[in-house]
Amino acid sequence: MTQKYRAAPKDDLIWHDLDSMMLLYHRPSGITHMLADPVPAIIEVMANAPLTAAEIAARLTALFDVETGVDAEDIVIARLDELRTLGLVSRVSG
Amino acid sequence: MGGMHQILLKIGPAAFRIASAWRQPLEQLEALYQDYPQPTGEHVDFTVRLEPEKPWRRHIRPSVHIGGDFWLPDAAPLPLTQGLLAAEMGMNLQMALGWRRHLLLHASSVEKEGKALIMTGLSGSGKSTLSGMLAERGWRFMGDEFALLSLDSGEITPFPRLISLKNKAVEAMQQLAPADRFGPEMKATPKGDIRHLVPPKEAIARMDETARPTLLLFPRFGHAPELRDMGQAEIFVRLTQASTNYVALGEAGFHALTRFVDQVPTRAMDYQSVEQAEELIDSLWSQLP
Repeated sequence: MTQKYRAAPKDDLIWHDLDSMMLLYHRPSGITHMLADPVPAIIEVMANAPLTAAEIAARLTALFDVETGVDAEDIVIARLDELRTLGLVSRVSG
Repeated sequence: MGGMHQILLKIGPAAFRIASAWRQPLEQLEALYQDYPQPTGEHVDFTVRLEPEKPWRRHIRPSVHIGGDFWLPDAAPLPLTQGLLAAEMGMNLQMALGWRRHLLLHASSVEKEGKALIMTGLSGSGKSTLSGMLAERGWRFMGDEFALLSLDSGEITPFPRLISLKNKAVEAMQQLAPADRFGPEMKATPKGDIRHLVPPKEAIARMDETARPTLLLFPRFGHAPELRDMGQAEIFVRLTQASTNYVALGEAGFHALTRFVDQVPTRAMDYQSVEQAEELIDSLWSQLP
């Protein structure tokens, strides 16, 4: 079966827009993250639902301009792995 | 603390008890802090202890170990002639590691008409010297080491401790400030040649008056005069590095610092002389809303 992912609950996250980056304060860990595109968009489209990387890539392509010829799903998987080590995204079993 | 001498000091919002095995550093502190108010009541925020490194070293080539409520294991002992420096370092350390009522930025600050100019940067950037110089040229001195950013109002609270002058800055300030405001000369300390300067009387009398942060500068000494814009992301990262308690304050620190970055115009400033710096600062200041 295909791996699904879920973002940290919305209430745990405080966003702040800087000119070129997005700040994200993660309440449970007390850590401030500085995120570059497309990571804020990935977390945004994940909302609170468990989604596969392909579903996330499809939502991103629908909402944002994604360069053609780029494998959006590969990029999403790489970013999701990074976000998992930061505790901002978790794998959903079953 | 048997056999310890002690004095109480109030600097801005913080009250200190300085306890020392020797009288000399306390006598020097007392003289330099004579215009400062006494803390009210028994409560102090921090205790700094100056103790012999080993009990038998109190009289034989004494060296001072800095102790306190908060301390770093690598704080090296200093010779007794540098006891005043040890006390100042101890007080800074207590603030840096223990203060929680404000977001603490390693920065100097001066004020005009209720508006604060804040200068931050690495050691050697000249932020301390610049604040001392500006304080003799019409600005109110608020602090040369820490700017205390309020977590709710966003204002800067002064922390006008003694101005710590290093190496060439000592001579430069002697041209401007009267001799009776200088502390003893301390040669070849771990921080170079050090001499403390008592802030102007007005800075001490008004040390409870906050000011609105209005301009933030990252000065850099030794480069041709220039002002540069900086991106918000770089400003934010450098301020978290300049803060000693950003992480400890958690969400309150995040809100205070993001508001500061949103609201306060910021420039990087290169300069080769105080005159150049003053010209650049005046030009920026006159364009502020």
